[in-house]
Amino acid sequence: MLKTSPAIKHIIGRAGWYVVTFFVAITINFFLPRLGDANPVDTIMAKVSTGLDSASAKAKEEAYLKEFDLVEVDAAGNVRHDAQGKPVRTSLGRQFVNYLGMSLRGDLGSSILQHPKRVTEIIAAALPWTLALQLPTIIVGWLVGNGLGALAAYKRGVFDRVMYPLALLASAIPAFCFGMLLVYVFGIRLEWFPAVGGYGDGLTPEVSWAFFQSASYYYVLPFLSVFLIVVGGQAIGMRSMCIYELGTDYVKYAKLLGVKESKILFYMFRNAMLPQLTGLALALGSMVSGALVTEMIFSYPGLGMAVLTAIQGSDYPLITGCTLLVTTCVLLANFGVDVLVGFFDPRIRAQRAGK
Amino acid sequence: MTLGKRATRALAISLALLGVANCRPKKDEGSGFPRAETFYLGGRQWGEPSTFNPLGTPGWPISTMNLLYETLLMYNSISGQMQPLLAESYAVHDDSVEVTLNPAARWNDGQPVTAWDVTFTFELGKSYKSLNIAPIWQYLVDVRAYGEDGREAQPGASEHPRRVVFRLNLAKKNPLVVLDALQAQIIVPRHVIEPLLAERGNNLDEFKKLKFDESAVSSGPYRLLSSSSEKIAVLRDDGYWGNQALHGGKRPAPKYIVHPLYKSNDAFSVALRQGRLDISTSFVPRIWLKANKGVRSWLDREPYFLSTSIPMLLVNHKRAPLMDVHLRRAMAFAINYKDIRELAVSGYSEPLRPGVILPFGLEQRFFSEEDANRYGTWFAPERARAELKAGGYTPVFGPDGELLETRDRAGKKLATLYVKSPTGWTDWESIVRIAVKSMRAVGIDARERFVDTSSFWNALYEGDFDLIMHTPSTQPSPSKPWSRFEALLTSQDFAPLGQRMYKNIGRFNDPKAPGYLPRIDELLAQIPTLTDEAARLASYRELNVLFMQEQPDLPLVYRPDTFYEFSIKHWANLPSGANPYLPPLIPGDRLGTNMLWAIEPVAN
Repeated sequence: MLKTSPAIKHIIGRAGWYVVTFFVAITINFFLPRLGDANPVDTIMAKVSTGLDSASAKAKEEAYLKEFDLVEVDAAGNVRHDAQGKPVRTSLGRQFVNYLGMSLRGDLGSSILQHPKRVTEIIAAALPWTLALQLPTIIVGWLVGNGLGALAAYKRGVFDRVMYPLALLASAIPAFCFGMLLVYVFGIRLEWFPAVGGYGDGLTPEVSWAFFQSASYYYVLPFLSVFLIVVGGQAIGMRSMCIYELGTDYVKYAKLLGVKESKILFYMFRNAMLPQLTGLALALGSMVSGALVTEMIFSYPGLGMAVLTAIQGSDYPLITGCTLLVTTCVLLANFGVDVLVGFFDPRIRAQRAGK
Repeated sequence: MTLGKRATRALAISLALLGVANCRPKKDEGSGFPRAETFYLGGRQWGEPSTFNPLGTPGWPISTMNLLYETLLMYNSISGQMQPLLAESYAVHDDSVEVTLNPAARWNDGQPVTAWDVTFTFELGKSYKSLNIAPIWQYLVDVRAYGEDGREAQPGASEHPRRVVFRLNLAKKNPLVVLDALQAQIIVPRHVIEPLLAERGNNLDEFKKLKFDESAVSSGPYRLLSSSSEKIAVLRDDGYWGNQALHGGKRPAPKYIVHPLYKSNDAFSVALRQGRLDISTSFVPRIWLKANKGVRSWLDREPYFLSTSIPMLLVNHKRAPLMDVHLRRAMAFAINYKDIRELAVSGYSEPLRPGVILPFGLEQRFFSEEDANRYGTWFAPERARAELKAGGYTPVFGPDGELLETRDRAGKKLATLYVKSPTGWTDWESIVRIAVKSMRAVGIDARERFVDTSSFWNALYEGDFDLIMHTPSTQPSPSKPWSRFEALLTSQDFAPLGQRMYKNIGRFNDPKAPGYLPRIDELLAQIPTLTDEAARLASYRELNVLFMQEQPDLPLVYRPDTFYEFSIKHWANLPSGANPYLPPLIPGDRLGTNMLWAIEPVAN
């Protein structure tokens, strides 16, 4: 079977590498946030220690450290202290072993700053908003951008001369800048669209026409802020790919034969699409982290904000939980592309078969 | 044919555009919260609260009091009076503070609020040292319930005792901190909490895992309705006991109070301008520019807000050469306070005066103009240079007038003094930049150092700084200005660098070091026990003069405890400087809750 199917051999080979990458990535994800001298308990203590005397503050701090498993406890459940009376911190190595064990059981632990909330609970509440904002935007943006790019390459003339600089401009504007511009012009100056939030203040999420209507209305600006940039970037890429394809013999031949314009465009599109497909997969993989800027500018609910607050407050379990999700998404998307390419790209098939 | 195709296309595009335009909802509300019955407030909570457990670390509305759970009394920072809530009266005796509960006070399950609830709440702090109420026990001997007949109430008796006596620890007599606690501690229902704790073996950590997010028993005028990562909503409880007992049968005007959880200060600003928010405590820069959009602040002219606290640079007295009073006074004379007020905080501050007593409001009676002029410091670069000279410091300036280094008496170069502040706190960053610039101008080698927020707190408490931004003891309370002095100057619990200190963070006046000034600790112990106004004035004056002479820290500007901006679009009769029937606090923040009975919806 393995011998007869080079594609499967290719997939298994790649999968091995992905497993290794995954373990390296989660190790880095675990240690990186914990290397600095910041400590989540300090952030909490800053909020709650007003007016406390030293003894109460110490008791409170130790209660938190114990709760979050950051200190060693003796058999009786009391915090262990060193010679200077400071609590003994659980070593990083020990924490890592605990973390690996929990992760394998699918338990991401509970958030520190939002204690006693589970990390999975927080991610589950935020993820749908991120997906709803990013998934359609990236897919529709990808389709429209590639369509426009192919069209510009094929038509040339005025269409290309207008479309190309516009696409360059759109793709070159930083996302945060463009988002703020949209908010300022359409949200604050003209007041055509709401400037912040995911749906009307007077509503709660529910399955109703009023909610759907409100959510779509609030969706317009965040959607546009990502959409136009995706379209620009894709259009430029597709345009150059197509210009290359246009120079190929099969297009010239088809033109000579008088094949319908749309048909030629379709062939060209299919061939030029391969590298664009990789781009799509990568965009989908990293959409969770890419959403941050948009969510911040529009005060849009979602995972980006969760990650940001977690990082600011050194909320280790939440940071690690989110980065685990991002890592998994990126790796899966890449793997997906590898698999597809292995199946569809005749060149790779040929290479694997040793032809 | 082609024309027909084009026409169809044009028609399709116009229809699509029309569809988008039409998707704008007519009114931005659903069945959820009708605008005329909903009060939107913001700036008090930044992320979704993880719990509504009154013994945990809950967010709005529990953390700020009196919408769900209530305190015994409420402090009015304008009049200086305590206003009744669960308690109808209180009295301060020589050895105790006594409180009498309102006989009408009820939990929302119909049970009366009794003295047992109060004793239970306070005693929780005795059993669990990590609770906020725990520190009060160094000032108390016990808290007991008494019946109408004046005899101590017996547990299990059928009557509901209403009198509570807080017996003071006379070795550390301080009725002020007890009064502070009476207006800050929410009372929890003993009949609910006690069994839940017992079921968990009285393990507080286990108890804190309960979220109390559904039908919790509380005594306040609202109940929790919903909470998500976008907003928290509470619903009016029409059976609230205080409607009859405290508000003449009236009920709060808004049926719903909603706190949207925006992600940035700007978002709250925009929402306020657009009338989507009725009141906010977020920082809105240059508020006068928003007046034409119906946005108002406490005052309609400078300083716009009512200041209650003093952001300052704390000085590390355990690091050379900062223990030198000449250097500290040189810094205090060098800083351009006017620039800080005008450029860093949008003019939201009265002009700074020497010392740490506010020269306006209730504290004005303790402020002495004469002392300030004789002992104080202010922006006077020539005096800063004189102080440097007196301390033997020589600044070395480069050819373009830029400071190269500062040398001490022995001619040795002093290490640069770093001023720490959390990165991203933009108003503080501007304050620090101005302070550093003015110190360098007179020849003090200081530089700003902006650090990550969480490492900032660690540096603060463990004393890992030369100079650091901090606002001590911010909330107005009955113990002001004593508690501000105490937070800055007390030698109690003195700890070396590397160990934590939550008060006197700059480690001034080490009781074990030479030059210790016992008078400061004497005054701090004495002031809370004084009842004679003249004696209090004399003690406060003496303490403030000591501060001015020693200049242990560098006060920079005045600032409100919470900001207070509101929109006049949907609700009328909110308290303001022109109509100060309540202090500038949002509903659900201490006494601010009382405005809910006075505001009225604006007719369309």
